[in-house]
Amino acid sequence: MYKITDEELLQELEKRFSENKNSIKELQKLTKQLKEVNGRLEESESLKSHFISNITNEIINPFAAILGLSRNILDVKKEDWNKVISMVQMIHSEAFHLDFQLKNIFAAAKLEAGDWMPEIVKVDIFQMIDNLAETFKYESNKKGLTILVESELGAPPGSSFYFYTDAEKLKIILSNLISNAVNFSHNEKDIIVKVWLKETKLCVSVIDHGVGVSEVNKKIIFDRFKRLDTGINSINRGHGLGLSVNKAILDLLNGFIELESYPNKKTTFTVCLPQGEVPEDDSFESSDGNEFLFDDDNSEMF
Amino acid sequence: MELKTHFLYPSTLFASKTPYLVNTILGSCVAVCMYDPVLKIGGINHYMLPLWNGEGLASPKYGNIAIEKLLEKMTNNGSKKSNIIAKVFGGGEVIDTNISQFHIGERNILIAQQVLKELNIRISGQSLGGKNGRKIQFNTGTGAVLQKIIQKSLPG
Repeated sequence: MYKITDEELLQELEKRFSENKNSIKELQKLTKQLKEVNGRLEESESLKSHFISNITNEIINPFAAILGLSRNILDVKKEDWNKVISMVQMIHSEAFHLDFQLKNIFAAAKLEAGDWMPEIVKVDIFQMIDNLAETFKYESNKKGLTILVESELGAPPGSSFYFYTDAEKLKIILSNLISNAVNFSHNEKDIIVKVWLKETKLCVSVIDHGVGVSEVNKKIIFDRFKRLDTGINSINRGHGLGLSVNKAILDLLNGFIELESYPNKKTTFTVCLPQGEVPEDDSFESSDGNEFLFDDDNSEMF
Repeated sequence: MELKTHFLYPSTLFASKTPYLVNTILGSCVAVCMYDPVLKIGGINHYMLPLWNGEGLASPKYGNIAIEKLLEKMTNNGSKKSNIIAKVFGGGEVIDTNISQFHIGERNILIAQQVLKELNIRISGQSLGGKNGRKIQFNTGTGAVLQKIIQKSLPG
């Protein structure tokens, strides 16, 4: 039998001890991660319950307001018709808000079900942004905000610039960003929507001059149902779904979202996404031709 | 008869009562194909990360959610859980790394095996790990899967 020297024994022992130490360290690290995740899941669960109780505020109340206001309009006498305008504005505002919330809820539901596929079409980018800015006109006017469109594409805003992407999903992404910018901006400021290209990716930055996002909150704002100001006097409504929806859509479209924020000065959310491929006649397409045909010898059967 | 085809995007899943050829491309992602030999129907998912950790939406981007959602779709389509068999593909280490936390492929594989075991679903075929990406084609009507190894690294 091979005899080991004391020195070899010591070396071996030392080696084993250090291995042990390492695995303990690894274990501690994993335990810490597990704790963090656990905390997040607990929070997510409680936010979910909160969300359900909030539905009253967010959906039933606007409906009640719309019903009440439209009833009032029906009762207005002909000579008082000029009063109607302010009521119609309120109805529009409530309905707009409701529509926006519902779109996000449906988007989140479809994303969580996993059956929402990209549908790539040719999109006129500036026209989409102009339309969105138009839909937010009343909301932004209320706070004295101006939505400015800037372009670094070589084509000026208002001209035609086409990009292949999923129009419906891009619209949801951008309306979430613009809605946040409008809600969290200080009054009488500009909101800038800047369109630019990063290599071949289309990027849209939405810049506001508002409360912003602190370093601590940057990590959690993409979480589901997360709202930063949840106080009972919160003037900002919403479910905290918008940014988590955005992130999930961008995953699907192979894009990403970035945030740069100097609280109370300037906050920039940037989304970038690659040009989508248009599938031919709904069947599978592959960028490198027929590689997906399995009739050759090097494909295996399972 | 020419079957209809469907391209499965990452983070999504697909199940059908009528036969389809489902194509997808896997790097470190994992796809679980479920097949019910009694009703001759199937479904497939394609997830990118093993576990949902409370971040973002609880979507089928995450293995634990994707597998349970797929089973739910199968049972909604009329399958009995005890009839379902599974085939698992992907989880290659297409990006070289020595940091154990970044071994996403390996962790994706592990979660598929664990969750399927907990659900008592037998894995009847698999092709996992390695350094390369895969293209697979799943026939939801027969349960057959064709696989082709691809050299270039892929994100999915």
